[in-house]
Amino acid sequence: MHDIIRQLDEKRAAACLGGGQKRIDSQHAKGKLTARERIELFLDPGSFEEWDMFKEHRCTDFGMEKQSLPGDGVVTGYGTVNGRLVFVFSQDFTVLGGSLSETHAEKICKVMDHAMKVGAPVIGLNDSGGARIQEGVASLGGYADVFQRNVMASGVVPQISMIMGPCAGGAVYSPAMTDFIFMVKDSSYMFVTGPEVVKTVTHEEVTSEELGGAITHTSKSGVADLAFENDVEALTMLRRFINFLPANNREKPPVQPTNDPAERLDFSLDTLVPDNANQPYDMKELIIKMVDDCDFFEIQPDNAKNIITGFARMDGHTVGIVANQPLVLAGCLDIKSSIKAARFVRFCDAFNIPVVTLVDVPGFMPGTAQEYGGIIKHGAKLLYAYAECTVPKVTLITRKAYGGAYDVMSSKHLRGDVNLAWPSAEIAVMGPKGAVEIIFREEKNDPEKLAQREAEYKAKFANPFVAGARGFIDDVIMPNETRKRICRSLAMLRSKKLENPWRKHGNIPL
Amino acid sequence: MFKKILIANRGEIACRVIKTARKMGIKTVAVYSEADKDALFVDMADEAVCIGPAASKESYLVADKIIAACKQTGAEAVHPGYGFLSENAEFSRRLEAEGVKFIGPKHYSIAKMGDKIESKKLAIEAKVNTIPGYNDAIAGPDEAVKIAQKIGYPVMIKASAGGGGKGLRVAYNDAEAHEGFASCVNEARNSFGDDRVFIEKYVLEPRHIEIQVLGDSHGNYVYLNERDCSIQRRHQKVVEEAPSPFVDPEMRKAMGEQAVALARAVNYESAGTVEFVVSGATKEFYFLEMNTRLQVEHPVTELITGLDLVEQMIRVAYGEKLPLAQADVKINGWAMECRINAEDPFRGFLPSTGRLVRFNPPQEIDGQVRVDTGVYDGGEISMFYDSMIAKLIVHAPTRDQAIARMRDALNAFVIRGISSNIPFQAALMQHPRFCSGSFNTGFIAEEYPQGFDASMVPHDDPALLISVAAFVHRSYLDRAARVSGQLAGHERKVGDDWVVLRGKERHEVRATPIARGYLVEYNGGKFEILSDWRLGEPLLHGTCNGEKFTLQLERRGMKYRLFHWGAQVDLTVLTAHAAELLALMPEKAPPDLSKFLLSPMPGLLRELAVTEGQEVKAGEKLAVIEAMKMENILKAEQDCKVKKLVAKPGESLSVDQVIIEFE
Repeated sequence: MHDIIRQLDEKRAAACLGGGQKRIDSQHAKGKLTARERIELFLDPGSFEEWDMFKEHRCTDFGMEKQSLPGDGVVTGYGTVNGRLVFVFSQDFTVLGGSLSETHAEKICKVMDHAMKVGAPVIGLNDSGGARIQEGVASLGGYADVFQRNVMASGVVPQISMIMGPCAGGAVYSPAMTDFIFMVKDSSYMFVTGPEVVKTVTHEEVTSEELGGAITHTSKSGVADLAFENDVEALTMLRRFINFLPANNREKPPVQPTNDPAERLDFSLDTLVPDNANQPYDMKELIIKMVDDCDFFEIQPDNAKNIITGFARMDGHTVGIVANQPLVLAGCLDIKSSIKAARFVRFCDAFNIPVVTLVDVPGFMPGTAQEYGGIIKHGAKLLYAYAECTVPKVTLITRKAYGGAYDVMSSKHLRGDVNLAWPSAEIAVMGPKGAVEIIFREEKNDPEKLAQREAEYKAKFANPFVAGARGFIDDVIMPNETRKRICRSLAMLRSKKLENPWRKHGNIPL
Repeated sequence: MFKKILIANRGEIACRVIKTARKMGIKTVAVYSEADKDALFVDMADEAVCIGPAASKESYLVADKIIAACKQTGAEAVHPGYGFLSENAEFSRRLEAEGVKFIGPKHYSIAKMGDKIESKKLAIEAKVNTIPGYNDAIAGPDEAVKIAQKIGYPVMIKASAGGGGKGLRVAYNDAEAHEGFASCVNEARNSFGDDRVFIEKYVLEPRHIEIQVLGDSHGNYVYLNERDCSIQRRHQKVVEEAPSPFVDPEMRKAMGEQAVALARAVNYESAGTVEFVVSGATKEFYFLEMNTRLQVEHPVTELITGLDLVEQMIRVAYGEKLPLAQADVKINGWAMECRINAEDPFRGFLPSTGRLVRFNPPQEIDGQVRVDTGVYDGGEISMFYDSMIAKLIVHAPTRDQAIARMRDALNAFVIRGISSNIPFQAALMQHPRFCSGSFNTGFIAEEYPQGFDASMVPHDDPALLISVAAFVHRSYLDRAARVSGQLAGHERKVGDDWVVLRGKERHEVRATPIARGYLVEYNGGKFEILSDWRLGEPLLHGTCNGEKFTLQLERRGMKYRLFHWGAQVDLTVLTAHAAELLALMPEKAPPDLSKFLLSPMPGLLRELAVTEGQEVKAGEKLAVIEAMKMENILKAEQDCKVKKLVAKPGESLSVDQVIIEFE
């Protein structure tokens, strides 16, 4: 018995060293933490329950049979974040570059299966050189097993990928199917084919960082949602993020008590919208002043900045916020912003998170680039997402709500539950100038008359009352009472029940 | 008494006048430009009349429009505030002709004192000490050099119609006199439409001390003691106080009597200020000029004398006699004023405009803290008018107590959305030379020759900052740990032991919860931090071991940025283990911006002074940006070669926008 315990201690000690001290030092020298250090930082202290520490690969080719690797390059198990259960796998780059073998994949699948059974989030801390080439097709099969589980878990438990090292080739598709991808600046990259292949095939010279670094994916491609300075910041912020999310699709999002009064007024908001309809303002100011404790966790802050998405709490309850940003491209909808917001709304809907939509949208972005790029289908994604969404939907129109974009942005017609407007709201088919030029086309050579028509149009339609008269707006509220009114609406909607008709799945315009 | 008066001004001074009028039961009329339609003073007045577009030349400076507004509203008198038409004799004369009282001196007094050459002659006649100089108009730069040589360098070249630092040059040699004269004439012509310039001896180690006088239409005069306005930045007053730490009773009497003599010489009726330059070494004082209006810094006089100067001006204009004689004028304690400007002290004090995302001045306390302002939370700082947005005034029994009170008040002044000079004011309030009272008008230029940066305000109580960081961090963590949905029996327990990192410094602390706060043990000391702070609020009022403190903070990712006594300190609170791991993280060099000329402020690119491929020496002019009606010249910080002109003249620039790329 003593012997077994001694063996156990030795095995544990060996497993904990991963690829050995030398490789740990080299990992640190690259500015990266080890798989276990990352888990320690991420989970509540002492809460980690590790599984499969002694699991070893079964490969006998290319001399692999001589290498015994306890844990096989990935640390898996479960633990808590602020007392709430999460499953986690953390790839160990010090063990054969974190390469994915058949058994490595089995370990990941095991935690995913358990997460599905008990209904808890799966967090992947990715740091892997790719497939374990020595294993050939067995490794590829391992990837596909993970992919399949990613898809099955999608919309059932939240899945978050934190890319903390390389993630290339087929390996990218597991994170790609999770709900959120976070990256660490300068030490992580993601691409389907690396710079070498790119150079051979397309003769483009590009660095790994330019091709698939954190900045690229958070600002250009939109693949990643957030970029962090280093591992410590990334994991600290990941903990904060987890506190917004429900454990699974059958539970309500968690409640974090606050002493920020739900009925708090903020009179500075009364002057947020400038008198000049063409002058921008920062929608984030409204968000920050409206939510609990000024705490807004923005998602994709550097991609498609004309729309803002992120999580916050109102009266302690998590909400998803979608808001047009007048500061960027006048807040119009285009391909990127539609995709960004659509995916966010669908996440909220899948996980019972109410959606608060703040609208100041002049319409869809015109131009060949948009049309050739398929704005019709991409814009439709956002429309589809809002229309399909059954969670509580509270919408506030702060200024412009023009044309089709008005319909899209969680309008009453798309089953918006509570639709409010500030006095500055203008709900119309288009702006006064454009509208008048079409309706009174025959007067287009008479600028004086046209100006008069414009004034008439403005007086008639550039206000929230036309929509209010039809019940498309439930009430016109003062900006200062925004928090109070939205908190009340959300409280009223907490018991909302709405189900879509049964179907295998809808056919969102992909 | 008047039933209704009109205030021909804007901003804080309009609000200030309205407050007194209200107290006296007088109705008020505001006049405003289009840019000011949502301003506080418009809201406060009983009536308001729009008098034109934003540019003051087309609104606040147009006498016709203001007279028309008087007629339209039936206002019986006009208070001009300061600036704009307040020292315009013609305006005063015209009002009188229209049967409207001007709440200020008679037009002849303004006219005589308004011209610096004229006023100096008058002062000499009234036996007021004056500075040696040349008082007649000067033909050209060559003549200016000759005159300067005769007076002896250094000399000051000044526009006759100038004021507030505009149209003023100091020359230490012939070349500077030549150049200074030319540019002074130019500026005088552009700013005041009057290109007359005079030259005089430049007093070294000068203090700026002024005497507040008050006269009525019955020939009574008093002086209300002095104000010391020596703390100036580029001839703009920054801090004012009353009394002066430099003036003794005999000097006060001598200066006061000369000031009254001058006021008497022009039959001065109203509040006015006689400015003196005082030699820090010899205590000799010379008359500079008389400001025939209410001064920005009048509140410090009000606090130490207990008089409401605006009320006195109104009463005098109505024809009442002064309520007091010289013997009744007392000095009660010490008052100090900080001008709160919309400018960025860390970027060379460049103007800052835009939306006041947050504007919460400290709580006003009668007899202790007073805030005169014309803006509000959510208001807008426009580029059309000057950058002063508030005056923070404190009153205390002694100078030291006044300084302490000012420091606390500055801590509590929340301004977000634009930059303010609060950190700089706070730095002044703890500068040993300022605190000792031995300074002159060169103080800021001498003490901050390279400008101002955050490192110049070392925080002298790190234990407080570290304890508060621990308090804030645990507040956040304990809040997060109360989230619902935890595994029963395995709930989160937040630990007590933490490491507070300030750059490379590592401070071990223990923070344990107590009622309303945390007990922080640090470096052998115990700090009981109690506060009802609401998470996310920028302002934190609390007590540390029972002693009150106020500071501001921002949560920036993992870091907390604390603002206290002018210092900005970034602190990170981690477990010891996390701190160890953080130490393994590489330090990332900030991006190299030296290859670019970035716009230091929002504004209009007036001029690009270089071309692509040009070699530029350090100090050479690169570009001119116009903001808040001020031209700001951007100069090369080092020798360089222009690679590319990124921005074009006429373009509107945002902060940090690239203007020029260097090789």
